[in-house]
Amino acid sequence: MEEENRPLLSPEPAGESCSNRGSTDSLDFKAKRPFHVEPRNIVDNDPQERVSAEAAILNSRVHYYSRLTASSDRLLSPPNHVIPGPEELYIYSPLGTAFKVTGSDPSSKNPSIITIFAIWNTMMGTSILSIPWGMKQAGFTLGILILIFTGLLMLYCCFVVLKSPKAIPYVDTSDWEFPDVCRYYFGKFGQWSSLIFSMVSLIGAMVVYWVLMSNFLYNSGQFIYNYAHDVKMSDSEFGTNGSDKVICPFPNTNPRGNHSMGTLYLGNSGNETSSSDVSFEHWWSKTKTIPLYLIPLLLPLLCFRSASFFARFTFLGTISVVYLIALVTLKAVHLGFHLEFHWFDTTQFYVPEFRLLFPQFTGVLTLAFFIHNCIITLMKSNRNQENNVRDLSVAYLLVGLTYLYVGVLIFAAFPSPPLFKDCIEPNFLDNFPSSDVTVFVARTFLLFQMVTVYPLLGYLVRVQVMGQIFGNHYPSFFHILALNIIIVGAGVLMARFYPNIGSIIRFSGATCGLALVFIFPALVHMISRSRQGLLRWPSVLFHSFLIVLGIANLLAQFFI
Amino acid sequence: MSSTAMKKKVLLMGKSGSGKTSMRSIIFANYIARDTRRLGATIDVEHSHVRFLGNLVLNLWDCGGQDTFMENYFTSQRDNIFRNVEVLIYIFDVESRELEKDMHYYQSCLEAILQNSPDAKVFCLVHKMDLVQEDQRDLIFKEREEDLKRLSRPLACTCFRTSIWDETLYKAWSSIVYQLIPNVQQLETNLRNFAQIIEADEVLLFERATFLVISHYQCKEQRDAHRFEKISNIIKQFKLSCSKLAASFQSMEVRNSNFAAFIDVFTSNTYVMVIMSDPSIPSAATLINIRNARKHFEKLERVDGPKHSLHMRMR
Repeated sequence: MEEENRPLLSPEPAGESCSNRGSTDSLDFKAKRPFHVEPRNIVDNDPQERVSAEAAILNSRVHYYSRLTASSDRLLSPPNHVIPGPEELYIYSPLGTAFKVTGSDPSSKNPSIITIFAIWNTMMGTSILSIPWGMKQAGFTLGILILIFTGLLMLYCCFVVLKSPKAIPYVDTSDWEFPDVCRYYFGKFGQWSSLIFSMVSLIGAMVVYWVLMSNFLYNSGQFIYNYAHDVKMSDSEFGTNGSDKVICPFPNTNPRGNHSMGTLYLGNSGNETSSSDVSFEHWWSKTKTIPLYLIPLLLPLLCFRSASFFARFTFLGTISVVYLIALVTLKAVHLGFHLEFHWFDTTQFYVPEFRLLFPQFTGVLTLAFFIHNCIITLMKSNRNQENNVRDLSVAYLLVGLTYLYVGVLIFAAFPSPPLFKDCIEPNFLDNFPSSDVTVFVARTFLLFQMVTVYPLLGYLVRVQVMGQIFGNHYPSFFHILALNIIIVGAGVLMARFYPNIGSIIRFSGATCGLALVFIFPALVHMISRSRQGLLRWPSVLFHSFLIVLGIANLLAQFFI
Repeated sequence: MSSTAMKKKVLLMGKSGSGKTSMRSIIFANYIARDTRRLGATIDVEHSHVRFLGNLVLNLWDCGGQDTFMENYFTSQRDNIFRNVEVLIYIFDVESRELEKDMHYYQSCLEAILQNSPDAKVFCLVHKMDLVQEDQRDLIFKEREEDLKRLSRPLACTCFRTSIWDETLYKAWSSIVYQLIPNVQQLETNLRNFAQIIEADEVLLFERATFLVISHYQCKEQRDAHRFEKISNIIKQFKLSCSKLAASFQSMEVRNSNFAAFIDVFTSNTYVMVIMSDPSIPSAATLINIRNARKHFEKLERVDGPKHSLHMRMR
C-alpha cells in the first residue's frame, strides 16, 4: 500500500479531528471521512453521543439484513415493535447533518380549506335534485325559512356529535366514531341501534340511486333514440313552447291536489306514435324494464372485494354539482323569474307561501344536511383542531347556500303562467324534456357518477353489516351475494312501483335523523353534562325539545 | 472405512417456520431466495457449500410439522441424517402453540442422536424472543430451559434465548463456536501474548465462514459493546458484494488519523483483526508480526488435528 512510504500520520492533537469532520470538500486525505459514517456526533460537535447504542446496532443489522433478501421480500424487514419510537429516529444527510423525525402523527393533516371542501363534497348528494320540490311543498317563503332553520339545527347537532368523544374521560377515544360513543353510553343497544339507523340512511341512498339511475338511463336512451330516429316529442308532452322547454310530466286536473304520494302512470301521453316507437317504449320503459337492465351492470360491481377503485371517482360528484349549478343558472337566465306571492291562498298556477306540507321539506333537508355518521372521521385530519367549530360552520353555510341557490332559482324560474308551480318534480331534471341537450349532459354526468358511487355505498353497507354480524368484512362470497341481492332488490322494487324519490328521501332522512341527529346526540350531551355536573335546566329543556322535534319530524312524514 | 473421509455435520433443526433459514442466512451470509420459503419443508442435503470451523458441514432440516411424505422420508433417512453429527442446534419458536408436539419431536431427534452420534454437542435456541414482552423474557426462558434440560438427559444441552433483532443471536452463536473450538483456552492465552507483543489495542479472532468472534483480547475498556456484531455485519456485507463479482477477499487495512485496523486470514479456520491506536507504527511492521504469528497458531491447530482424527479412527 502506498501510504507505507509516507511519513505516517504525524501526531495530531485529538481535538482537531472533530473540527475536521465539518469539511466535506477538503482534499486533505487526513480530513476525509470513510464512506460509512458512524452516526455519533453528526448533529453538532458535542462529544456526547446523540444516537443510542441500540439504535446504532439496529441500524447496522437492518443494513446487513436488507442485503440478504430481495428488496421486495419482507422476511427480514424489522417488525414494528423493534423499531425505536419516532423521538429516537434521525434522518441523515450524506453531507453530514442529521435532524430528527418530527413526532407528529404520520397521517397528513389538511388545512382548513381542504377540510371544508371535503365536508361540502360529502354532504352534497342527490338530495340537491329534490330541493326545489321540497320548497314547493313547503311554500316559497316558508321553504327558505325552513332551510335556514333546519340547517342551523343540524349544525348544532353536528357540534354535539363532534365534541362527544372528547367528553369521555379515562378512555382513549382517538379512533372512535359516533356509533362507538353510543355504545359507550347506551351499551349494546346504543351500538346496534346507531348502526341500524346509519344503515337506513345508506340503504335509502342506494335505493334513491337506483331510481335515479333508471331515470337518467331512460332519458339518455330516449334522447339518443329520438336523435337517431329524428322523432319530435314536442307536442306529446304538456309544457311550454319555445326553445327552453319545461314540461309537466304528470299534469293533474286538480291543481290543489296533493300528488306527492300519487303515482300517475300516464307513460307517454302522445297519441300518434309509430309502431316501432311503441315497441321501443315497450323495451325502454322507465319503470318496467330499465331497473332490470341495470342489474347485470351493478350487481357484479357490488361484489368486488375492495372499493378503493371506485374511491378514485369521487371527483365526479364535485363536477356534477358544479355543472348542475351552472345549468340552473343558465335555465334561470333563459326562463326569467315567475314569482307571485300569495301568502295563504292557493291559486291555479301558484302555491301559497306557507303550506301545511312543510314537514316533507324538513324530511328532505334532514337527509340533505346529514353527515353526522362520519363527521368525526372527516374532522380528524384537520390541521388546526381548534378551528373545527369554525370550519364546520363554514361548510354548513356553503352547503346551505348551494341548496338555497338551486332551490330558489328553479322555483322562481319555473314558468308558471302556462304551467303550475305544483308541477315541480321531486327530481327537478324531470321537468325538462329528454330532448334538452344541456340537461342530457347533466343526466349522463350524474348517471356516470352514480354508477361509481353506488359500489362505494354498497361497500360501506357491507363492511358495517358483515363486520357487526360476522366479525369479518368478507365472510364468503355467498353472504355478500345475498346482501347485495337484498339491496338491489329493494332498489328495483322501488324503481318499479314507487319511483318518487322525494318520498324515499324524506322517509329515510326523517328515520335516520331521528336517531343520529336528534335523539342520540341530545341524550349523549345531556348525560355527559350531568356526569360532569354541569347540566342546567335550560339545556335540558332545549335538548328535550330537540328530541321532540325529531319524533315530530318522523311522525309528520306519515301523516301529512 | 475411515470415518475421517466423511465430513462431520452441524445439524440445524427445528419445526417448519421456526426461523432456521433466516438464521442460517444471517449467520452465514447466504442470500435467501424467495422460493426457499415457499416450499413446504426445507431439505438441505449434504451438498451444502457452507463450511463451518473448517471441516464441519452445515445441514438444515425441518423436524416435525411437515406432510406425511416428508415425515416418511425423514424416518427412512434417519440414520443417514443423524450419523457423524458434531453439533445439533435445535430451534424452538417461543410463540409456538404446540409445546407438547415440539418437545416430542425434539426428543425423537435426541434419541436418534444417542443412537448414531452420542458424542454430539446439543444446543437449544429459544428463538423469536423479540415477540415476548421485555419483562417476561427472562421468566419464560428460565421455564423453557428447565424443561429442556430435564428432557435432554442423559445428554447435556446448552440453552440460549435468541432473536434476530437483538444481540442475543450473535452472542449465542459465538458461544456455540467458542465451545466447538477444541483448544480455545490455549488460543486465548496465545492471543493475549501476541497482542501484548505487537502493542495492539485489541485483537480479535473470527471464525472464517461466519465472522463470529471466537476470542478476543483488549488492553483497555472499549466504548461500544456491540462492536463485534457491527464488524461482523460489515465484513459479511463486503463478502456478499465480493461474491457478486466471483471474487473473495483476503485481507483489509483501514486507517485514519486515530487508528489502523488490519483484517487478515490467520489459520485455516480463522481470521484475525488487529487494532493499533498508535499511528506511528508502520503497517509493514504489523503485517510482518501477523505473518509470523500465523505460523505459530497454525502449529497450535495442527497439534490437535491428528489427535482429533486419531480419536475417531479408534471408534
